[in-house]
Amino acid sequence: MFSMDLLLGAVVLGVLLGCFYAAVSVGLSISFGLLDVPHVAHPAFLVLASYGVYQLNETYDIDPLLAGLAITPLFFLFGLLAYRVYYETFEKRGTDAGVRGIAFFFGIAFIIEVLIILQFGVDQRSVTATYIGKAWRFGEYRIPIRQLVAFAVALALTILLAVYLSKTFMGRAIRAVAQDEEALRLMGANPVRIKQFAFGIATAVLGIAGALLIIVAPVEPTLDRAYIGRTFCVVVMAGLGSISGTLIAAIILGVAESIVLTLFGASWAPAISFAMLLVVLAVRPQGLFGR
Amino acid sequence: MALSLAIEGLDAGYGAVKALRGVTLHVEAGETVALLGTNGNGKSTLMKCVMGLVRPDRGRLTLTIDGRAHDLARLPAEAIVDLGVALVPEGRRLFPRLTVLENLMLGAFRKAARSAIERNLALAYETFPALKERRSQLAGTMSGGQQQMLAIARALMSSPRLLLIDEPSVGLSPLLVSQTIAKIGELKQRVGLTVLMAEQNFNQAIRIADRGYIIVHGEIAVAAQSVEELKANDIVKRLYLGGVA
Ligand SMILES: Nc1ncnc2c1ncn2[C@@H]1O[C@H](COP(=O)(O)OP(=O)(O)OP(=O)(O)O)[C@@H](O)[C@H]1O
Ligand SMILES: [Mg+2]
Repeated sequence: MFSMDLLLGAVVLGVLLGCFYAAVSVGLSISFGLLDVPHVAHPAFLVLASYGVYQLNETYDIDPLLAGLAITPLFFLFGLLAYRVYYETFEKRGTDAGVRGIAFFFGIAFIIEVLIILQFGVDQRSVTATYIGKAWRFGEYRIPIRQLVAFAVALALTILLAVYLSKTFMGRAIRAVAQDEEALRLMGANPVRIKQFAFGIATAVLGIAGALLIIVAPVEPTLDRAYIGRTFCVVVMAGLGSISGTLIAAIILGVAESIVLTLFGASWAPAISFAMLLVVLAVRPQGLFGR
Repeated sequence: MALSLAIEGLDAGYGAVKALRGVTLHVEAGETVALLGTNGNGKSTLMKCVMGLVRPDRGRLTLTIDGRAHDLARLPAEAIVDLGVALVPEGRRLFPRLTVLENLMLGAFRKAARSAIERNLALAYETFPALKERRSQLAGTMSGGQQQMLAIARALMSSPRLLLIDEPSVGLSPLLVSQTIAKIGELKQRVGLTVLMAEQNFNQAIRIADRGYIIVHGEIAVAAQSVEELKANDIVKRLYLGGVA
């Protein structure tokens, strides 16, 4: 039954889970939050990365985190290409890029799902590593080491990205591009190149995030659907484009899901993100740290 | 370091709207040239043509640096900035949700300007001390006068050789206009800039200008070789000096 200890345990696990959510959402915080690209295929890219990690782990027995790092450059190129196609077909032609862009990315997400099923089947897949399966105990608490690893890597990744965006020339240009493209041209930057590069970064990050996803739990081809709600909830709650906000919003979602899971059971957890997304849109559409 | 801008027979517009017709104008190294004209006469369009933001329909835009001619009508805006041309745009066009310092740092985006950041930042802060105090403030939350200072300082961060300024006086109180113009004059002396400044405020503009042009309905109506010649011109008397038409 309900107890203070149980609640405390749920909060601790929720914080760990939340940092992991930040890592899987932070790319969307760039692509959707900063670049205004309706990137509903973001979670599908994420799951695709997990399968890439799975393949490397399975065939070459590479540590999943290293495998994630290894596919990061590939995902960067994939991101450059995806943005180029989106830009040439939709954004360049202006006006209704939003709605048609959503359809475009839904199409991509669907294709990715199908390709994964064709290649790997519908069964769950998981990775092996020394830290998977063990747990860390103190008193009556038990924290899986895989959660701790995901937490630490996710936190580092999110902080690294926040620093990149605020301290480098490219990072500042990425934050400026959605605010005033023409002014950015006057600074000597090519807005389309900046956006393409930013989309590349947002996708590259998914190499690592995909590794975390499959470290935390087994993946299946349609897992992206569960993450559409989560990632968009986090990015919108954060306030579009705020990276520190993304971390805080992700922790709020993680803790909320964890508490609901503890009190009401697992079947309710996936609904939390959509519920929170609706509440945020109704009450504070600009998000917690929004423009 | 010799630099000059020559514009010859420039036509430009927006679809059916013809904003510039046969504009011919030149700016020589070290000069401050005023481009005077009331609302809607094509001053901003001319500035945008020089920056590569609006493509001319006809005519030539040539920037000559140390004897080498560059055809600006063929270059993208980024390449023009790289040649050392900077524009302080109409309406300032700051990045409102970035801090003052971040706006300044974006001014130094072009590679050649990055090595001079320390020096340019020191110059910006010395010229506009308010920017230093407010370097962590979001640009969008500053007053109009402070925003204009930031817009000028941001353009200077790119170490320009030719500085274009589009109506720095807009929306400022008379006292601030006077201060802003004085600052531009001061900066010009210190950095050895060549300046082309669009203005509606005749009396303020001629305080720092060496000579000027009057643009009316997209055409150069007056090209004066000195401020005295400008003041003596009939069109100027009628438009700006309260003379009877
Ligand atoms: N983006 C645009 N689309 C269509 N017409 C435009 C556009 N920008 C300017 N124009 C038109 O071109 C003409 C010249 O405008 P421009 O902005 O160059 O004048 P200006 O001298 O800078 O005026 P102001 O002092 O009001 O800034 C005007 O008739 C204006 O309506
Ligand atoms: Mg104008």
